Amino acid sequence: MSILEFEGVRKTYRVGEQEIHALAGIDLRIEEGEFVAIIGPSGSGKSTLMHLLGCLDTPTEGRMVVCGTDLSRATPDTLARMRNREIGFVFQSFNLLPQLDVVANIGLPLVYSGVPRRDQRARAEEAARRVGLGDRLANRPPQLSGGQCQRVAIARALVNNPRIVFGDEPTGNLDSATGRNILTIFKELHAAGKTIILVTHDPAIAAEAPRVIELCDGRIVKEAKA
Amino acid sequence: MLGVVLGVSSLIATMALTRGIEEGMHIFMQQLGGLELVKVVPNEPSSLMLEFANLSPGLTLRDAHSLRNSATLISHISPEITHTVSAACSDAGNSERRKARGILPDHFVIGIHGLAAGRWLVDLDIERGARCAVIGHTVANQLWPGTPAADIIGRTILLDQTPFEVVGVLPLYEQEEDTRARQLGKKPRARRWDPFRQKNEAVLIPFSTMFHEFRSGAFPENSMDSLKLDALTVRIGNLDHFRAALGQIRSVLDLSHRGVDDYDLETREDWFDRIESSVRATRLSGGLISAISLIVGGIGIMNIMLASISERIREFGIRLAVGARPRDIFRQILVESMLISLLGGLLGVGASLGLIEILKMISPTENIPVLTTGSILFSVAFALASGLLSGLYPASKAAHLDPITALRYD
Ligand SMILES: Nc1ncnc2c1ncn2[C@@H]1O[C@H](COP(=O)(O)OP(=O)(O)O)[C@@H](O)[C@H]1O
Ligand SMILES: [Mg+2]
Repeated sequence: MSILEFEGVRKTYRVGEQEIHALAGIDLRIEEGEFVAIIGPSGSGKSTLMHLLGCLDTPTEGRMVVCGTDLSRATPDTLARMRNREIGFVFQSFNLLPQLDVVANIGLPLVYSGVPRRDQRARAEEAARRVGLGDRLANRPPQLSGGQCQRVAIARALVNNPRIVFGDEPTGNLDSATGRNILTIFKELHAAGKTIILVTHDPAIAAEAPRVIELCDGRIVKEAKA
Repeated sequence: MLGVVLGVSSLIATMALTRGIEEGMHIFMQQLGGLELVKVVPNEPSSLMLEFANLSPGLTLRDAHSLRNSATLISHISPEITHTVSAACSDAGNSERRKARGILPDHFVIGIHGLAAGRWLVDLDIERGARCAVIGHTVANQLWPGTPAADIIGRTILLDQTPFEVVGVLPLYEQEEDTRARQLGKKPRARRWDPFRQKNEAVLIPFSTMFHEFRSGAFPENSMDSLKLDALTVRIGNLDHFRAALGQIRSVLDLSHRGVDDYDLETREDWFDRIESSVRATRLSGGLISAISLIVGGIGIMNIMLASISERIREFGIRLAVGARPRDIFRQILVESMLISLLGGLLGVGASLGLIEILKMISPTENIPVLTTGSILFSVAFALASGLLSGLYPASKAAHLDPITALRYD
């Protein structure tokens, strides 16, 4: 069974009288352990698709099954549980809490999964070491570089050992050398058996993905499998 | 926040004040004999009964005997006859008109009397018709100014020229504020009515002595048993059976008075009720002020939380994105607003201590405020509740944020 299944998924936004079809009928299957890149021009619906895949939102129409759970009409609590346990999400703009230190930021998902407090810290430190941040545990995000911030975000995405890790232009705010380092981490995660789905503008990154999906105007216009 | 501080401190101060007043009142009521004291006094029979009035022997010592035997709910009983005498000391000093009262030893228990020196009257004094007296503070002070109570014991007081030995002196009875005014060296406020006057001006002699010395001569046909009493005071054993005890007294007296309603029961209920309702009114108005400040404080907290939420929309987006459920966000905001109110509450407790000191300084002669742990806990709990209530709306607002909108927000 596919880890992600979309059938006729539509997402329509209403802005006043106007209807914007951010996603205009998506059919998509992604198997466990795949590495998928999603490309497309700005405004083509990549982020909208990622938000649905990442259980941050529900579709206006269509069927969506994530990790065997039908989420087409899911309640906020079910979605929260999926985000917490099955999914790690890495954003372009990091989305860290500036008032918390590195360990607390990484451990944030554990707060909401009922992990005992002392285990939270141990697991957050372990995740930090995995992304090479073992020596910056007590720092707070404003004291870190962009690349380091994105590593914190990745560690946070990993801390609950999810099956799928999403990245919405995770290298978009980084210089190309740092971007490559971040990409390496994603490739290592893929090698370790995680399902990876990345949105990217960078053709070099897309070139390294075994499967590339191209979006335009809310539809899949091209699919390439290596 | 300031509202919570004010609310909590005024709430605690009000409770301390009313508690102080209540305790003062309680002591005051006890000094007057408490609610347990009931006085039976002779009364004009009602017009319906007027024709039968002479069927009744009136209020007599026999009533005291039958009440003692039949009314099981009363614990003490003392008849009373009064006679106005001139009281003087043997050293030919000044004399003054005093109301002497002939009583039985139970009188001291019923009135909850204390003693400054000496002893109460005892059964032996009654049996012997002894010429001995227990006198109030004012009487002692007027006859022997400046003499300590202990030195007055054994001296002779002349009542209408008849010598009596002073065997006991009662302590000075006064209200708390007068005591405190006296201690501060101020003159007590002049009063229209002094509730302790009867105690302080008491001249108490054995019932039998009163009869033989002062009353039998005036009414030679009277025996001690048929002498009309001026009053009959009783003490009710258990206040839980107050009504039943009054009922017993009535049925016993109705029988011996052959149904003529020529007596009246005076209880302190109405009077004490009035005192209590004025305490309640104080508490209510103080409570109202505190409640209003707590509501204002709650609204303040709500505004703080609403402002803090709109600054932190992104934070909630991030928390939601990593798996916080709406109820987790809801709880977070509630906890935060309760922490603010708790802080305000604790500051309020500190402020109330100062407030109470200030109140003590402003009116040193009033009842001392009594601070209890219960009132502190209650006020802090009240503050917490106001924090909880005012956090509800902001919390529900934050919990219903859409994760994506919240993440995009800046
Ligand atoms: N919340 C929204 N309300 C209205 N329109 C939206 C909203 N989110 C996205 N859109 C529209 O949907 C389309 C797809 O947006 P998006 O998925 O962000 O594209 P991409 O990430 O590929 O740039 C765009 O036209 C965008 O304006
Ligand atoms: Mg986008």
